[in-house]
Amino acid sequence: MMRTIIRTLIGLALVLAVALPSSGQGTTLRMAITRDEGSLNPYTYQSGYPGWNLMTLVYDPLFVADADNIPQPWLVQRYTVSPDGKTWTLTLRANLKWHDGRALTADDVKFTYEYVRRYAHSRWTSQVRSIESIETSGPSTLTIRLSAPSSGFLAQPLTDLPILPRHIWESVTEPRRFNDVIGSGPYRVAEIKDGQFYRLVANDGYFAGRPKVRELVLPIVRDATVTFTALKAGEIDTTVRALAPELVSEFDRAPGIKVVRGAGYASTILQFNAEHPVLRDVKLRQAIANAINTRLMVRLLLLGYGVVGSPGYIHPDSPFYNKEVTFTASKSKAVQLLNEGGYVDRDNDGIRDAPNGTPLRFTLLTLAGNPIRIRAADLIRTWLRDVGIDARVVAQEDASIIAQVWPDFDVCKGRRFDMAVFGWSAPVMNRVTVLRDLFHSDCRFGTINIGGYKHPDLDRLGIESGTAVALEVQKKVLFEMQRTVAAEVPIHVLFYQDGIYAYRTDKHSAWVYQKGQGIVNKLSFIDPPKR
Amino acid sequence: MWRFFAGKGAQYLLVVVLTVAMNFVLPRMMPGSPLVFLAGEDVGFLTPEQRAQLYALYGLDQPQWRQFVTYVANLARGELGYSFQRGRPIAAIIGERLPWTLLLVGIALILATLIGAAMGALAAWRRGSTLDLGTLGVAMFFESVPSFWLGMILIAVFSAGLGWFPIFGAGTAGLSLTGWALVVDRARHLILPLTTLTLITIPGTFLIMRYSMLSVLGERYITTARAKGIAERFVLRRHAVRNALLPVATVFMLNLGFIVGGATVIETVFSYPGIGRLLYEAVLNRDYPVIQGTFFIITISVIVANIASDLLYPLIDPRVRRG
Repeated sequence: MMRTIIRTLIGLALVLAVALPSSGQGTTLRMAITRDEGSLNPYTYQSGYPGWNLMTLVYDPLFVADADNIPQPWLVQRYTVSPDGKTWTLTLRANLKWHDGRALTADDVKFTYEYVRRYAHSRWTSQVRSIESIETSGPSTLTIRLSAPSSGFLAQPLTDLPILPRHIWESVTEPRRFNDVIGSGPYRVAEIKDGQFYRLVANDGYFAGRPKVRELVLPIVRDATVTFTALKAGEIDTTVRALAPELVSEFDRAPGIKVVRGAGYASTILQFNAEHPVLRDVKLRQAIANAINTRLMVRLLLLGYGVVGSPGYIHPDSPFYNKEVTFTASKSKAVQLLNEGGYVDRDNDGIRDAPNGTPLRFTLLTLAGNPIRIRAADLIRTWLRDVGIDARVVAQEDASIIAQVWPDFDVCKGRRFDMAVFGWSAPVMNRVTVLRDLFHSDCRFGTINIGGYKHPDLDRLGIESGTAVALEVQKKVLFEMQRTVAAEVPIHVLFYQDGIYAYRTDKHSAWVYQKGQGIVNKLSFIDPPKR
Repeated sequence: MWRFFAGKGAQYLLVVVLTVAMNFVLPRMMPGSPLVFLAGEDVGFLTPEQRAQLYALYGLDQPQWRQFVTYVANLARGELGYSFQRGRPIAAIIGERLPWTLLLVGIALILATLIGAAMGALAAWRRGSTLDLGTLGVAMFFESVPSFWLGMILIAVFSAGLGWFPIFGAGTAGLSLTGWALVVDRARHLILPLTTLTLITIPGTFLIMRYSMLSVLGERYITTARAKGIAERFVLRRHAVRNALLPVATVFMLNLGFIVGGATVIETVFSYPGIGRLLYEAVLNRDYPVIQGTFFIITISVIVANIASDLLYPLIDPRVRRG
């Protein structure tokens, strides 16, 4: 009798242990990061990912993007936009508090937006440049007037710029040396050991409710192999690093570990220098694009965990993807285009020469620290050789590549390269103005047009994509831009690597995969506030 | 005596001056700029005016010679400046990282010297035997293996495999320990990186000691000592080893100066928060103040070690004593 009771109790306990989701209300989650992220405030965090993601656990923007990247009101209770798109009226929720107990009011919002305008920040200063004036009326309401309608205003800055506490930042004149971390977010910074780890603890008084994990310990683990060894051994619970393709099956099988996979918006591209005397010929670029078997690349380099690049840059999962714009690489087409363009081997050295005699010999730059990109460059070299083009692969460290391809990160400063295996991070894909940023010939608009490409249609449509406020108009403009980009091949998108992340299930399993970006986001730690 | 020191002093001063100048020039000769670390990753969106504002803030818009003058003036005041990337005083950053390096590399150096010297003496004494050839082979092995590979193997076997030691870090992240628990925690984290570093440092000392011993054992005073009937173990200890240690001592003192440079690869593999990794990242990030500050510290410590070596050597080798 006793035995039966005991057995039943044990069985019950086991069932409960398994059935209850890891609420982790008392848990400490150890998430390894790769590098120092300053003091995790808006002016000192270091990297876009994971720095910005971690910083937004401590600070809140007005809106937060949901799993489909659609901005949802967060600090804001409700908002209205005037029909001409130039006036935004926002009402904040009541009872918003800073970590030190003071109230978060519309004054803090107005202060923040004016502060980033005054103290240059690479990410936000340009986002607020269309703001003409901000007025507050009462502690919770503010009106923002823009000088012109801006298609991306809801995304940037409303969903991007975290609010700073005015009572702490108003006297700060050297923001990058200011290490205060009082924010309003679901987590507060409890401890920072430079070079070693960060410790964040849940802000129990958070307006949206109790965060799902009690404590976040973020140790800095510099080596990728060591990181995944530690994950397997249980010394960490998860990491911000994406799982390498070759480790996926091993981690899939490992007990206690779950692997999630989703679309990745970060792109790997073949970037042409459009000002190059030979590469400025669109036929040559089209030929090069045809010679590259991107399908095989995804199989070989990503072991299938990726999506072939779209000829119009936009990822197939994006709401702005134009599915009628397609491209299939064909080696015979490449050869045909080269012959048509007058690129034949005139001196019998195995390399084709341009009509004016210049041999098709190029340097292909790639980042030394990224094995997938190096192998991609190597494959490109092989395939181009097959069609009579010589591409010498040169792998260098970050800063040296940037100095040639994007000197001082300023497109206006020109460029000195032939081709490069490059890439853009996930957030770029989420911008409505992505194709303007990538291809507008005026360096003030085409801020990532590192190839110096110029096309009047892309310029004109690019400007429209910046001011069109209605979703349907945005789609129409971007659809057309994709058609032009596919035809002109200013860049050739190779692939988008899937986001693959692994975590231990015992500590926390309520991760939310944000499309294109990954699991390290606010929603993985706290549910959205009730309306 | 004083002329000797004045001469040496002038020499060292020249070295300091040259190194200070090189520390300034070399990082700035690399392509690229620290802008992304001054401004943040999306630096492409800054307008020219905003970039100018940033450069002005960090004094990077000044002509190079004026930046150099500011740098030297600050250095003379003991002011190492602020890290571009971290926005914190460099003295504080170095102050946090240096002790870990001294702990790791210092202990490794001492252990490697003691073990290497002992093994080298033994191997030379039994020259040609299996012990000698065996230890020579082992030494060659550890001399040639890449340190990161050795570190990873140790992690795979002892940490991930047997679970005896933690995989990374100088201490368990997130825990605030005190007293004995703290010591044990730090020690457990130190053992694997220490073992790796010691193993790859031993061969150097071993080989120097072995060759030194062999040459000493061939000296006539050794034959004399044996002829006098002194027991072999005293011949070894009192006569041979003491004399053979001289080059080992020199190398040890010189290496002391370089401790401060850290062990970058091992610090990376084990995520050990030392100076080596700090410097490496500063170079990648073009964090000029950190590069300058760290190199300066290394220069000073090498010079101090040299001076110490110059002063101590005559004490152990009477042949070079002056006056």
